[in-house]
Amino acid sequence: MKDPLTQRLYFLFGLLVAACILGSLLSPYFLQVSTLGYLLQYVPILGLLGLAQMLVMLSGGPGIDLSIGAIMSLVALAVAGLFGIGTPLLLACLIGVGLGGLLGAVNAMLVCVLKIPSLMATLATFFAYSGLALALTGGSPIGGIPNWFGQLAQGRFLGVPLHMWTVFVPIAVLLHVMLSQTRTGTHIYAAGNDERAAFLSGVRVWRLRFALYCFGGALAGVAAILTVSWFQAARPDAGKGMELLSVTVAVLGGTHIFGGIGRVMGTVLAVLIVTTLQVALQLANIAQAWQLAAIGMLLIGSVVADNAVNARLRAMARRVPA
Amino acid sequence: MALIVLTIIFASRSEFFLSERNMTTILRNSVDLSVICAGMTIVIILGGIDVSVGGILAVVAVLIGRAYQMEAPDWLVIIVGLSAGAALGAINGTIITKTRVPPIVATLGTMYIFMAILFLVIGGVWISGLPNTLSFLVIGSFLGLPVGLYVIGVIYLVSWLLLRLTPWGQRVVAIGCDEGSARLVGIPVDRTKIQAYALLGIFAGIAAVLYVARMRNVEVNIGTNIAMEAIAATILGGANIRGGKGSLIGALMGVLFIKMTQNGLVLIGVSSLWETVVIGGLLVIVLILDAFETRRTA
Repeated sequence: MKDPLTQRLYFLFGLLVAACILGSLLSPYFLQVSTLGYLLQYVPILGLLGLAQMLVMLSGGPGIDLSIGAIMSLVALAVAGLFGIGTPLLLACLIGVGLGGLLGAVNAMLVCVLKIPSLMATLATFFAYSGLALALTGGSPIGGIPNWFGQLAQGRFLGVPLHMWTVFVPIAVLLHVMLSQTRTGTHIYAAGNDERAAFLSGVRVWRLRFALYCFGGALAGVAAILTVSWFQAARPDAGKGMELLSVTVAVLGGTHIFGGIGRVMGTVLAVLIVTTLQVALQLANIAQAWQLAAIGMLLIGSVVADNAVNARLRAMARRVPA
Repeated sequence: MALIVLTIIFASRSEFFLSERNMTTILRNSVDLSVICAGMTIVIILGGIDVSVGGILAVVAVLIGRAYQMEAPDWLVIIVGLSAGAALGAINGTIITKTRVPPIVATLGTMYIFMAILFLVIGGVWISGLPNTLSFLVIGSFLGLPVGLYVIGVIYLVSWLLLRLTPWGQRVVAIGCDEGSARLVGIPVDRTKIQAYALLGIFAGIAAVLYVARMRNVEVNIGTNIAMEAIAATILGGANIRGGKGSLIGALMGVLFIKMTQNGLVLIGVSSLWETVVIGGLLVIVLILDAFETRRTA
């Protein structure tokens, strides 16, 4: 019998194909080359947030970061704001990534040191961060980003957006290597699978989780820079709804909500599926309502499917003679 | 305690804050949130959570709006609203218990679906100019006190009785404390959970009726924040997010706290955009205090 995780990838791939077929049925414009570039335009931002969410979930706890979209909004504002007062843009970007890590560290403090349930802690910081983003700007965007910087997210190379090549793909590959090839990756899975066993075999579980919250924040910071480059402005509501969408993507991609199971490839496929659906429905001029409904059903459906797979895994484990 | 401090701060900054009219305004604005919080407390005591209450409120409000447009009488509207709320809540409960999807994910999913229903029914246009026959529930007064106060009182009394004096309430607490043990001693865990979510649905339905009665219109972004506010208020009121512990009176205090903050900030001239920052900050502080408390007792 095949590895259920690999089966999951086939399943996701099938879903992606189905989404593409649906797209081409819905709209004659879908099967054009330009659609691909348009579609991939959306992928890196949601992808980075989804990967961040996946990492936080993987290490167990159970871990979740509801503030991730709000971190993105805040960092975007910080980058544009710093540039506005004369900081060189590249330096502002570096500071932005650092700020993302710092905001993640606040979450990490609450969750990993004070042991507040992650759901509550990040709900509270979600309020605080997103409120701060709105309050500091009075709700209006910060513009004035030069054209050359816009190239990062608007430029194309071989029809594929530049930020796919330069940011998203490298980060995804790095994370994949980290999770599957390095000791840190093994530790992350171990912490998510059985916290106690991992601790007893010498994994510093909570320190690892602390680091992952910070890293997730930093990834959100990178995503923020991409939004700044794309819109050539920082919108205080850039990350609105992203926290839920990132959870959807991670879970749809096969990440177990209590940790221990999940792969980069699954999350990337899930991002592609969600984006394809959104773009297809958009092209077909179908109301936003159906997009919401589709995402909601995908979310619930994917967890149900996931549970079915896990039940089968347990049944298999039981059949093995002790 | 914190409530008193807050009152003193705001009262010292704006003489208008303590006026009777302002107090009535705060009360009026908190009726729908209070009602939802009663249900949310029960669900959180049960060890669950529901982030889709805003969606339920929205769907019910839109149904009510449509029912009014078809010139349905008040009593029919109320029945439709409450039963729709109960049905949506029961859907949440069923998904959570039968498919074993964690409550946060399941209700996140249904939130999307409920919002979709809202958009489909409302079609991007406000439903407005609804009759004011039910407005007395919110703005009227009886024996010198606002009717809203009685509504809150009845809801909380019923919830308190349910939770503390009936076997059902004891089952809820037992499941929240230790679901496995509760199952082993023969408590119908799934049924109780579905009932609790349905009860929260009914309360969201009542909140929708009150909302429509107060605003007399249904807009597109109705109910977007109310789930977060309800969870925040319940936690501020001392409920434990891990289940088993929670206080209805505390939740009500939490609601008043949030609404007074919102109102007071405006009165002392701080932009209303800061209110989420303040609520979030307060929530962080309460959680930290709670964490220290747990550490000391453990």
